[in-house]
Amino acid sequence: MRPRGGARLYSRDRVATPVPRVRSIVALAIAALGVCLAAAGAQAGEPVSLLGGRVRLGGEVSGTIAPEDLGWFNYSDYETSSLRLFRVDLMAEARLASFASVLFDVRSDNLEAPRVYALYIRLRPWAGRELDLQAGLVPPVFGAFPRRRYAYDNPLPSLPLAYQYLTNLREDAVPSRSEELVVQRGRGWLVHYPVGSTEPGPGLPLVNAERWDAGVQLRLGREPLSLALAVTQGTLCYPRVRDDNDGKQVSGRLAWTPSPSLVAGVSGAVGEFLAREVQDVIPASARGTYRQRAAGLDLQWSYGYWIVRAETVWSRFTLPTLDATRIEEPLDALGLFAEARYKLRPGLYAAARAERLAFTEIPSAVGLWTWDAPVTRVEAGAGWTPRRHVLVKASWQHNWRDGGTVKENDLVAGQVVLWF
Amino acid sequence: MVLRAALAAALLVASGSPVQEARTAGGTIRGRVDVRRAAASSEGRPAVTDLGHHGPRDTPDRRRGVVYLEEAPLAAFEAPAAGRAVLDQRNEAFVPYVLAVTVGSTVDFPNSDRVYHNVFSLSKPKRFDLGRYPKGRSRSVRFDRPGVVRVFCEIHSHMNAFILVFAHRYFAATDAEGRYRIEGVPPGTYTLAVWNDGSVRARREVRVAAAGDVAEQDFTVE
Repeated sequence: MRPRGGARLYSRDRVATPVPRVRSIVALAIAALGVCLAAAGAQAGEPVSLLGGRVRLGGEVSGTIAPEDLGWFNYSDYETSSLRLFRVDLMAEARLASFASVLFDVRSDNLEAPRVYALYIRLRPWAGRELDLQAGLVPPVFGAFPRRRYAYDNPLPSLPLAYQYLTNLREDAVPSRSEELVVQRGRGWLVHYPVGSTEPGPGLPLVNAERWDAGVQLRLGREPLSLALAVTQGTLCYPRVRDDNDGKQVSGRLAWTPSPSLVAGVSGAVGEFLAREVQDVIPASARGTYRQRAAGLDLQWSYGYWIVRAETVWSRFTLPTLDATRIEEPLDALGLFAEARYKLRPGLYAAARAERLAFTEIPSAVGLWTWDAPVTRVEAGAGWTPRRHVLVKASWQHNWRDGGTVKENDLVAGQVVLWF
Repeated sequence: MVLRAALAAALLVASGSPVQEARTAGGTIRGRVDVRRAAASSEGRPAVTDLGHHGPRDTPDRRRGVVYLEEAPLAAFEAPAAGRAVLDQRNEAFVPYVLAVTVGSTVDFPNSDRVYHNVFSLSKPKRFDLGRYPKGRSRSVRFDRPGVVRVFCEIHSHMNAFILVFAHRYFAATDAEGRYRIEGVPPGTYTLAVWNDGSVRARREVRVAAAGDVAEQDFTVE
């Protein structure tokens, strides 16, 4: 069972920013504003616009409910399960000129302090050229799922494992021996290691879809071929606003759209993920550059009432080697999922997703083990749109894990999404 | 919603006047609708997840409207002239923005864009979803009930249009200059309504004195 009363303490992101009353009031105000704007936008059937259309507002209010996830399969940090979440998301686009816009997205989860999710400027320096620059807290270029992260674009209430499931790696703490890593298999929701931060804390997903990274990005071309490149502060597993290790991540995606029915993307990323505080406490001989390297492939096929998507994310982490049994080999992980949505009738669809998250084996004094416990998930559900701006989803999810206290569980979830 | 419901109900109302030959020997109602109200934004939601600017797209002409008789001769309801119309999907806009048809009409929805569209409506008079289909393909929908049908694209949130389905034939869409012309109206006194961009904006009584008569009626929509 999770420790009572200590949850906030263990959330690294919120330790430094305790939620004072004024922030709660701001969160409530944003929630109320979001609901009001959503209702107004839904009634009008149009986005809310100001200043003659130069500023447009949009938003999404979603509530997801499910029984307690005792296996922590759906947690995206120690406190937040994607299946037990009330989220208010407000977004805005201000057109400064024909070639420049500022985009903004702020969200509050479970009425907690609002967090800026996106804030960036979008520029098109040459009107006649398909070249766009974006700078700030920008959308990720890697993969396809993170750019349809909003609940309205996701046919099921949950997030794919590769973009949400917490592994037993941390950016601010490392094991000194492979045994310490192996013993944390299946415990990504609350990991602790002796080197670096000794506070227990949540692990890292392969790709964090709940945050965007700060940096600059460039997009070249449109269909059938386009290329997006980005240089950012953090990494796929730990996007950041401020750099914490002097290392930058370079990521990119090449998208090919031979026809409207098919979109294929190849992605890659490399960046230093280990925080400076770890480097500062390890022996000088072990100091170096410890990176996350990732490659991805995404496919989408759609026609008629079908949308079929598949995505795979391969990620390699390197850790310092300290004591025996040393972690000599890079730690590889592979996440893949396939999902399909079929419209049964106007306003009603059925959807399903199957996925797997696998890890390579490493030697340890207790034998050869995968460095984290592999997870398999299947989920099936349906979505109903009684009105254009309302989406109601229900799903059943089954998880298997080769490790941890809870190895298997079933979850039934419901989600209501109001968007405008 | 109240206005839409009222419109839908109005379209069903017959005047109760004696059966007349509605198609011939009628008069004409014509005029101009001057829309002075600012059109709502035609842009979509903030494109926060996009990696760049979207390409140029057409802006629908939201000043177009429909002028119609709220009550019509009974004969007009007994034999509505079902027809065929086209609502094109072109440069990420529905063209025209407003389509007026009679009950029983079939509307074709061709896709003229290189990208997919997914036309759908959840309106009570007609719920439909045409799925995704590429450029050059078309799907059709027959409208069997009168009322206002709001049409959207599932993929492009800024795309929307209206189809007004009438139980009689006494209606006319305005042209680019706002002009309209309703022909073959039997002599009588009628309530003329102007519908623009989602609502009934004005009503005016109009009298067609005799067959061959031309009644002029202009509107200003603020």
